[in-house]
Amino acid sequence: MIWLALTILAPLGAGLTALALRRAPEAIALIGAALGLAGAIALFAGVAGGTDITASLPFLPDLPIRLVASPLTATLALVVATVAAMVLTYAAGYMAQDPERPRFFGTMLMFVAAMQLLVLSGDWITLLAAWEMIGFASYLLIGFWHGRNGVPGAAMRAFLYTRTADLGLYLAAFLLIGIAGTSEISATLATTGTPALIAGLLLLFAAMGKSAQVPMQDWLMRAMAGPTPVSALLHSATLVAAGAILLIRTAPMLPGGALLAIGIVGGATAVIAGLMALAATDLKRLLAASTASQYGLMLIAVGAGVPIAALLHLIAHAAIKSALFLGAGVFQHDRESTDLDTLAGAGRTRPGIFAGFAVAALALAGLPPLAAFYSKDAILAAALDSPSAAWLLPLALAGSVLTGAYMGRALKVLWSGTPEKPHDPVPLMAVGMGVLVALAATLGLVFKPLEAMLGAHLAEPGWIVPAMGLAVGLAGLALGWLLAPARLLGPLLAPARDGFPIAGGLDALVVRPALALARLCDRLDSWIIRRVVLGGIVTGAQALSHRIERAEYWLLALVNAVGRLNLSLGQISLRTDRDTIDRAIFGLVDRTVALGTRARRLQSGLIHREMAMTVAGIALVTGVLLAAPLFF
Amino acid sequence: MEMGRDLALLAPELTLAAAAMLMIVAEMFRAARLVLAIGLAGLAAATLLTLPMLSVDATVFGGTYRIDLISGWAKLILLPGTALSLLLVRAEITGRPREGSVQSLVVLVTLGALMLSGAGDMMVVVIGVVLTGLGSFALVAWPRDDAATEAAMKYLVFGAVTGSVMIYGLTFWFGGTGSTLFSELGQLQGQTLVTIAGLIAIIVGLGYKGSLVPFHFWAPDAYQGAPVSIAAYLSVITKAAAFFAFAQVLRDLPRDGGWPLALAVIAAATMTYGYLAALVQTNLVRLIAYSSVAQSGYFLMGVVALGASGFAVPGILVFAAAYVAMNLGAFAVVLLAGRDLGDLEGFGRTRPWLGAAMVVFLLSLTGIPPLFGFVGKFYLLSAAVEAGYLWLAIIGVLNSVLALGVYLRLMVPMYRTSSTEHPSEVGAVLTQGTVVVTVLATLLIGLAAGILPGP
Repeated sequence: MIWLALTILAPLGAGLTALALRRAPEAIALIGAALGLAGAIALFAGVAGGTDITASLPFLPDLPIRLVASPLTATLALVVATVAAMVLTYAAGYMAQDPERPRFFGTMLMFVAAMQLLVLSGDWITLLAAWEMIGFASYLLIGFWHGRNGVPGAAMRAFLYTRTADLGLYLAAFLLIGIAGTSEISATLATTGTPALIAGLLLLFAAMGKSAQVPMQDWLMRAMAGPTPVSALLHSATLVAAGAILLIRTAPMLPGGALLAIGIVGGATAVIAGLMALAATDLKRLLAASTASQYGLMLIAVGAGVPIAALLHLIAHAAIKSALFLGAGVFQHDRESTDLDTLAGAGRTRPGIFAGFAVAALALAGLPPLAAFYSKDAILAAALDSPSAAWLLPLALAGSVLTGAYMGRALKVLWSGTPEKPHDPVPLMAVGMGVLVALAATLGLVFKPLEAMLGAHLAEPGWIVPAMGLAVGLAGLALGWLLAPARLLGPLLAPARDGFPIAGGLDALVVRPALALARLCDRLDSWIIRRVVLGGIVTGAQALSHRIERAEYWLLALVNAVGRLNLSLGQISLRTDRDTIDRAIFGLVDRTVALGTRARRLQSGLIHREMAMTVAGIALVTGVLLAAPLFF
Repeated sequence: MEMGRDLALLAPELTLAAAAMLMIVAEMFRAARLVLAIGLAGLAAATLLTLPMLSVDATVFGGTYRIDLISGWAKLILLPGTALSLLLVRAEITGRPREGSVQSLVVLVTLGALMLSGAGDMMVVVIGVVLTGLGSFALVAWPRDDAATEAAMKYLVFGAVTGSVMIYGLTFWFGGTGSTLFSELGQLQGQTLVTIAGLIAIIVGLGYKGSLVPFHFWAPDAYQGAPVSIAAYLSVITKAAAFFAFAQVLRDLPRDGGWPLALAVIAAATMTYGYLAALVQTNLVRLIAYSSVAQSGYFLMGVVALGASGFAVPGILVFAAAYVAMNLGAFAVVLLAGRDLGDLEGFGRTRPWLGAAMVVFLLSLTGIPPLFGFVGKFYLLSAAVEAGYLWLAIIGVLNSVLALGVYLRLMVPMYRTSSTEHPSEVGAVLTQGTVVVTVLATLLIGLAAGILPGP
């Protein structure tokens, strides 16, 4: 209980303190992160024995807030806390010159707290709340430099894309709560049959948005507008991870159909985002596309029915990708750009940082004994054993080749070129990155005990799968080092660079029509209003009094009309015949419309137009009411 | 004996009526402070008198007026909401002519809102609509400039037409059941056309009060023409009352008449149209006006589910409480910031606490958990799903995406650097006090939602 609270509340409290004091934000941030890490470690140690730590707070009737530290969630919390602590250490150096540091560290810490809440949530409502909070905090972080060109747009885009996908989570949560009668996640996982399939597909939709899976990969590339530590945190263990975490946690419920869909979406993303990474002209965009591609590989593992493989890769990737981003941030620091042409030779300037970057890159490519070698093998083995191996294995292999290729290319660019004199030393940045690189190199050692703790046993890989994984990794690295992307990709280069806009992308399908419709609605109302306001100013009080007179006349006419109709309807009994009432209603409509027309002749009007719409609305309601019995 | 019991049950209403009369007397002496004090005291007394009656389920005056769960909670929501509105009115127009008249009219309109919330009889609904309407027209026209007069005129014409349609249509129900009591509506079983005529009457009359599409046209104009504090008041109190009245009327009506479907169509149209129109407004008051139109659509989801889901009535009540808090709060911030979207530029930087409060209101209006607005929407969506209107719930969730687009247009400029000055105005203390109360309600009641009526 206390460790649960510490893991979540320490970063939250530190974030609020940093915002309120606006002083020494780095120190506060590091203390908060360290306390959060201590809490996560204690949680991990506590559940290692096999008993879950849970907490329950009253909220809605019968729907309390639940927090659960199980081996799975405690592991994830530990990953989040570790990466967050290192990234914040790095950020203390990276952001040293920024006047807005309190806001930066405050938001980062609140983001971490929200992510811990998401990871440890034991019921759907808390999960939804945390899901929204990380979305909102990431919006603030991506838009941190909102004064810069294009930044607010990128932040807004990231938010709207992921928001649209959130719809899936809401619907899935409502469906599962409705069926299970409880909001407890573990209890709802007993759902079976068609509801489980529908919920699974809805969850996949939500995960696709957060984890930037095809066709919603676009926002992630644009989200590079934020500071580099933000990217390092968002791309490794937090925002993007939320989608995969959701699927890993709900995997026990997912039926075959949903698994197949997950595997195919993941496979398609692994390949398409891999191509985008290879074609990228900017180091951060390359890493961003690579993130989407790696999460594609994790989804393949979930789709193959081995979520534990996805979890291992998630952990390995968290360390690797944050290290890569932090390295990229140092190069950016030196050259004040992340453009690959500008960065040529940046690695020679700082051999130490480059060595760390290279270790992480080789780890991602899957070279033994580095971390992702083991996790990628687990994914390939899972794909091979799965009933849909024919689909999943080629996609997983292609994704792995591409991983090697784009990492090889990045290494080559950074290494070949003329070194420049380095800027000032970067001790804090080096410390943060160094720890993550060390983890990226050695995490593979803990995977076996971790499997045991999670109660899952991966099949002992023979020699085929590791050999296959190593071969594709090396082949990719060689291709990326030796051949330029134009040679490798050929005609695919241009579309890959544009992010494979399908049918104009979501923009053309969603954003533009929505805005057009909005303007239409506005015009409908606003031209009337303009007339009211302008007309009022121009014609003044005299016109106003005239108008009142006319309105009175018009009201009188309406009352008369209603009176006349009333007479004609006088005989309606309880056994009303349809004809009469129809005629009555249409008569009323006709009279009112006619009145409207008359009023229009009398004045260049306003209200009558709206009244006509109101009457049309009444007619519509009448229509629905009359037609409704036909459906029941 | 019977009379004595009835009067005791009506104590909150009678207290309020007495307070309103005293306010008018005090206004004759031009004692604006005294008017306000009487009003606040009356509202507080009426609220306290309501508390012991929350578990009562009774009717007075021959079943025409109900003292039940809905009307009890309606008082607990509307009376404090009115008190906060009075503070806003005081802050905005303090020292201006006829300030006391505005205050007393506000209290009288609230009395009408209470009548609507407890209506057990057609005539009580009519009286409630007229009582809230007449006072509101005058309140909107208060500034006496062109825009306000136009707006009040439009409001009046709409009110007159929809009101007459309502009265006319209700006569069918009277003909069908031989009684004006809603509790007799069960007798309408089988008389489809009579049922429909009365339904149209109720939908038109209360739909106008609750600003449902397509009866909403008056709302943006009226809010824009009126003082901001009056716009705030009208957007929450009379609107919430309309939906309480919907709940009182329709819970007695057999569900086989097709009215849930008709209302579901209106609900979907209202929320979509409201947010779409809000998306392109540049005037802050109009923007919130359209967003309030959209919120009406969510209210109506609860009405759609009446009689088919245990979440329906609690949903309407909880959402009303949340809506009163967050919309009043948002309007209070507008009162301090200015009426134009440009006035918000940099507001969150120069006035960080108010900016943060505005963010809370807007996120709550969007329905982000764990804020109060989410709890309300959660109940309403659950009600719609349980009643078999999954498509409506989906439209509701989809619209919350749109809503965020609307509200982000307010949040983003607040944290831009700008040179816009945000001076403290006269009466800022009262407005800030309102912001504090509403933001605490939005933040805390959401977490303690267990105290509210549940399914």
